[in-house]
Parts: sequence; C-alpha cells; structure tokens
Amino acid sequence: MTTGTPNGKNGRAAALVELYERAGYARVEPAILQPAESFLELSGEELRRRLYIFTDSEGRELCLRPDLTIPVCRAHIENNGNAANYCYLGPVFRDRGGGSGEYMQAGIEQLGRQDRSAADAECLSLALESTKVFGIDAPAIRMGDVGLFSALVSALKLPPAWQRRLLKDFNRTGTLEADLASLRNKSDPRASHAGVLAALEGSDPKAARAFVTDILSIAGISAVGGRTPEEIAERFLEQSSRGATSGLAPDAAGVLEKYLRIAGDPDEALGALRSLASEARLDLSAALGEFEQRTGFIAAAGIDVSKIRFATAFGRALDYYSGMVFEIYDPFERVNAPLVAGGRYDNLMTLLGSEAGIPAVGFAAWIAELESAGGAV
Amino acid sequence: MSALILAVPSKGRLMENAHAFFGRAGLSLVQGRGGRDYRGTIPEIADVEVAYLSAADIATSLAQGSIHIGITGEDLVRESIPDADKKVVLLEGLRFGYANVVVAVPQAWIDVRTMEDLDDVATAFHAKRGARMRVATKYVNMTRAFFAGHGIADYRIVESLGATEGAPAAGTAELIVDITTTGSTLAANGLKVIDDGIMLRSQANLVASINADWNAKARKAAQLLLDRIAAERRARTMREVRMRFKGADEEMLAEAKGRFGVQSPFGGPTSSGMLTLLCPPSTLHEFTIFLRERGAETVIVSAPEYVFAQDNPLFDKLMAKLR
Repeated sequence: MTTGTPNGKNGRAAALVELYERAGYARVEPAILQPAESFLELSGEELRRRLYIFTDSEGRELCLRPDLTIPVCRAHIENNGNAANYCYLGPVFRDRGGGSGEYMQAGIEQLGRQDRSAADAECLSLALESTKVFGIDAPAIRMGDVGLFSALVSALKLPPAWQRRLLKDFNRTGTLEADLASLRNKSDPRASHAGVLAALEGSDPKAARAFVTDILSIAGISAVGGRTPEEIAERFLEQSSRGATSGLAPDAAGVLEKYLRIAGDPDEALGALRSLASEARLDLSAALGEFEQRTGFIAAAGIDVSKIRFATAFGRALDYYSGMVFEIYDPFERVNAPLVAGGRYDNLMTLLGSEAGIPAVGFAAWIAELESAGGAV
Repeated sequence: MSALILAVPSKGRLMENAHAFFGRAGLSLVQGRGGRDYRGTIPEIADVEVAYLSAADIATSLAQGSIHIGITGEDLVRESIPDADKKVVLLEGLRFGYANVVVAVPQAWIDVRTMEDLDDVATAFHAKRGARMRVATKYVNMTRAFFAGHGIADYRIVESLGATEGAPAAGTAELIVDITTTGSTLAANGLKVIDDGIMLRSQANLVASINADWNAKARKAAQLLLDRIAAERRARTMREVRMRFKGADEEMLAEAKGRFGVQSPFGGPTSSGMLTLLCPPSTLHEFTIFLRERGAETVIVSAPEYVFAQDNPLFDKLMAKLR
C-alpha cells in the first residue's frame, strides 16, 4: 500500500494522520482483504448486504474491509497488545447500490485505557481537531450514551427477556416504540401455553428440564438442532415468573418514555436524568457519576460543552457500542452524512476473542465528506 | 429477428403447466426441431419468439430486460430482483406452482410459536453463546427484509443452495427459511413452520419486464398475446346463461345485476324476452332458481371458451407501467 496522500487533495488527509501521530497514535495498515467471519458475526445481516464478499479457492469467505476498527482490534489481540493507540488512513469498501463502493477513511482506536472518562474526552477532542484540519471550526456535535440506557434497563429490574429485547431494539427506529407500547399493554405470551407455565411455576431448573425432556419424548420429538432442553426449560421458567412483575410493566414503560425524551446539552441532560432517577426511585448514581466526570473532562479539553447536543435516544447503528457515542456534522448541513463518528466499544475485544476485557474507544473520519463540508482552502 | 421474447420454464411441472396455460388461451408453443431446442414460436401470433429457460434465469432476464414476458415464481422475482416493482410487472397469478416461503424451526423448540418468540430466543442465544443463531436459506434478501420487519437482529444467514431442510439436523444452522408446498418435507426433517412465519404465498406468475426493448412490434405482439390470455381468464370466471320468457324485462335484469353480479354483454332483453347474460359461477345456481321463480321455463347454461371484450386489462396494466 502506498503511504503519503492516497486521496490527498491539498494533502489534508495526510495532515490528519500527522495530527494523530503527533498525538501519540501509531499508524497501522491492515490488509484490505479480510476474513469475512468477524464482520459477519459482529455486524449482523443489516451490514452484511453492504459487504463485498467472496469465497477463495479453499472455500474461505473473504471480504473487502468495510471498516478498520475490527481489523485494527484483531491485530492488537494477535500481538497480545496491552494499552495502545492506533491510527489509520485508507480505503474501506461498502456496497451502497451505486457509486464506486470505495471510500477513504481515517481514524483512531484507543485500546486498553482504564480511565474511561478521560479517554472519551480525548477521543472527542481529537475528532474535533480532525474537522479543523478541513477548516470546519464549529461543527455540530450529536452525542448519546448506550451505557446509560443499559444501566437504566437493569435498574428497572424488568424480566430478563424484556431487558434483552429493549437493549437489542435501542436505536432501531420504530421497534423500540413498539416495544414500549407492548410493555404498556403487556402482550403476554403466556396465553399461548399457559398450562405449561402454570405447571412449571416455582419449579427449580432441574425439574423444569426433566419436564421439557418428558414432553419432547411423549410427543415423539427427537431433539434436533441448536437449543438444548435446558435452554427451552430456562425460557419457560423466565416466562412463568413474569407474572410476578406484571404490576411494574406500565410504570417501567412510563419511565423509559420519559428517559427517551431527555435531550439538551450534557449539563442540562444530567439534571433531567437526576430528577428522573429520584422521582422513579432508581439507583443510577454510578452511571450518572461517570457521565458527569466525562463532561468535566470534555470541558477541561477546551470544548464548549453547551454546544454539544446530547440526546438519550441517540445511538449508532452498530451493536458493539457500549458507552458514549457521537457523530460530528457539517454545521451548515451541506453534507448530510456524519463527517466523523465513533464511540466507546468495551465489549468488542472479548467478542473478537480477547481473554481479558480491553476498554476501547475510537472514531472514523470520512475524507470525502470532510472535503465537501470544508470546501477549498 | 422476433420482436417479443416470451420465456417459458424449460423443464418439469412448471413447463407442463405453462404449456397447458397457453393451450387454454388457444396458443400452441412449437419447439423448434424437437425437445432439445431452447427456442420456439407461437404460430398463432407473429413476431413472438419463445425462449426456454430455467425459472431462476427467467427472473434475472426479466430484471435485465433481455426478455419481455416470462413465466416464473413470485418467490424468485422477490428474491433475485432488488426493487422488483420498479423492474418488472406481475401481470397475473397463474394458479399453479403454488409454494410458501416459510420460517421453520426444530419441532423440539416447543416454546417457539411466533416470530416474537423467535426474536427473544435469538437475542438470548446471542447473549449466552456469543454467537448468532444461523439461518440456512437461499432466500437471503427476503429473509433479511422479513426478519428486519419483525425486529430480529441477532442472527446470521448461511447460504444454502440445496437440501436446506437438512441443515438443522446436520448442525450447520439452527433454523431455516425455505419453500414448502405441503410441509411434509419439513416435518420429515423434524421442523415446524412458525405461526406468523409465512413470508410469501407464491405461485407462478405471468411477469413482464419494464426495461425490455418495447418497440412498436413488441407492443403489438404483447397486445395480441395478452388479449387471448385475458379472454380466456374472463371466460373462466363466467358462465353464459340464456333464456327467453315474458318476465325477462329491464326490472328483472336490474335486480339480477344487483343480487347475482351478472353482466348483460349484448344489452337488455328483446321484446319477446330473449336474453343472454354472463354470471359468475359462485352465484350461478341461485340465479337459475331466481329465473325459474320469475317464470322461465328453461335456462341454458354453458361455459364459454373465450370472452373477448374491448378492453385488455393485462395489456393496460403493462402499458401503465411502461408509460
């Protein structure tokens, strides 16, 4: 691969990498051709239709890299890296049904730092420096926090099935609203097999497993495929205990709806979140403490916090984000796509096979968008 | 060179049914130089060339516009043509080649009845095992759209081009999306269809390409072809009812139109009460009882072979899309 300015109109893409290198991020250049497996497993089907994917002569599935986060993290794990800062510049490939499918991207990944709030602030600050390289001094900043939503969902002590569902549907347009409506109306699946659930009410897992195994054998069903009788029994048990929480569901839906309406700059949002927590008697102090600390570090980095538009409902359409997420836009809206976007993804490294959890935060900058928004120098 | 290319499935039940379909419309497909030639003609209509292709190739050729009209399954149209409604027109369902595209899971999953259950199970599976549930299918695009519609995110597709129903037993997938007619193959493989997991009720369709070269000659040939097909369809949905009696007057006709859905293609009754009507089969018997109560001695009912009319609804449907 060539170094220097692959897309360097005015050399500004190269200037980005120089900025990152000066800040202590080591340039890496992962292969363009990547094993498809981890992208398929981690990104899900919605992204898969954008992948350029094919099979080599030995039957392995390969793809043109659709982003650099996963290749950088995989290389980091293979090299047994501890804490490290990486940066990159190069093409990524996404089939958007038109256009060349090749896009120039620069970015950073900051792996292994335990002081998360400070690391988040540094990441955001470097993202804003990136737009400055293109002459955009006061971009629009949108921010959210996926971690806060999961803290709220677990504090609400909803049944496990509901917790899973809400976390999955966060940031899936339309779906979360539908979830809340059905949480309110309590569409209870128990109606379809109420007898089984009544019989299992109060059973221990072992008895439940025996029950399911017996049903299968009476019905003459050989256990084919995928899930064990334990897993089926476990799900029945979860559902049979759901009745105990029935009175809570509409309240929880109300709290979630109020939560999802909170928006403003981070300080305003924090105030609203604190009053919601005390009003609903929920202990969110750890998550809110971290939120406050992060805002402090962001202000200390010289960023005008009042210019950040924080929204509880804001998320990014990738499953592996776990904390702060942000997108930076052209303030004059000449470009509709994000110029720079990123966030915290503490779970990705274990999903990629790292034995220890490694905190991680990073962003990607879209060169073509930055150039359009920045105009000629 | 012929102006209009009509593609017909080249083998199996679909081919037999397609031949029978054109036969009913009075059109014979003549295969050039015997069974191994993949080109043919329709002697009744000039400027039509018949191409024998696989049903899958017909769908992709329609999308590209290399053929004008073809017979293929709706499942293939929906799966292999992105944005199908912008590239092809489904002119008519042909009442053969019925099959459903369904989501099927192991029968042992007794706790899974609905797509909502499947959503929950998929999320739990992913959370617990750190791997996504695998769906074996050849209907990749339809599956993505259908699962997204049900909010299911924690899965991945494993492409399967044959014997998909064996994938769960073989351990290469947890569930499947596949085509089924009776469900017996699924049952034999220990699988069951999810209650609201029917993605498409498919049948063979007469499909036209929007992007084909619709020159004047091709349009003329399509008009003649579709006119015959429409005449046969109209005939199939009507019975001819003839009568002559005093009580057959305008007032009786008006009541019959309202109650039995009859049409009077040749106008009202003559002065002697002679009348020819068309009646849908569903109300036919009731209608003949009504006529005899009104004084008809004899009512003759016959099945028309063709009913040609001024309008050509199939051709109009095509022209509306071509503008």
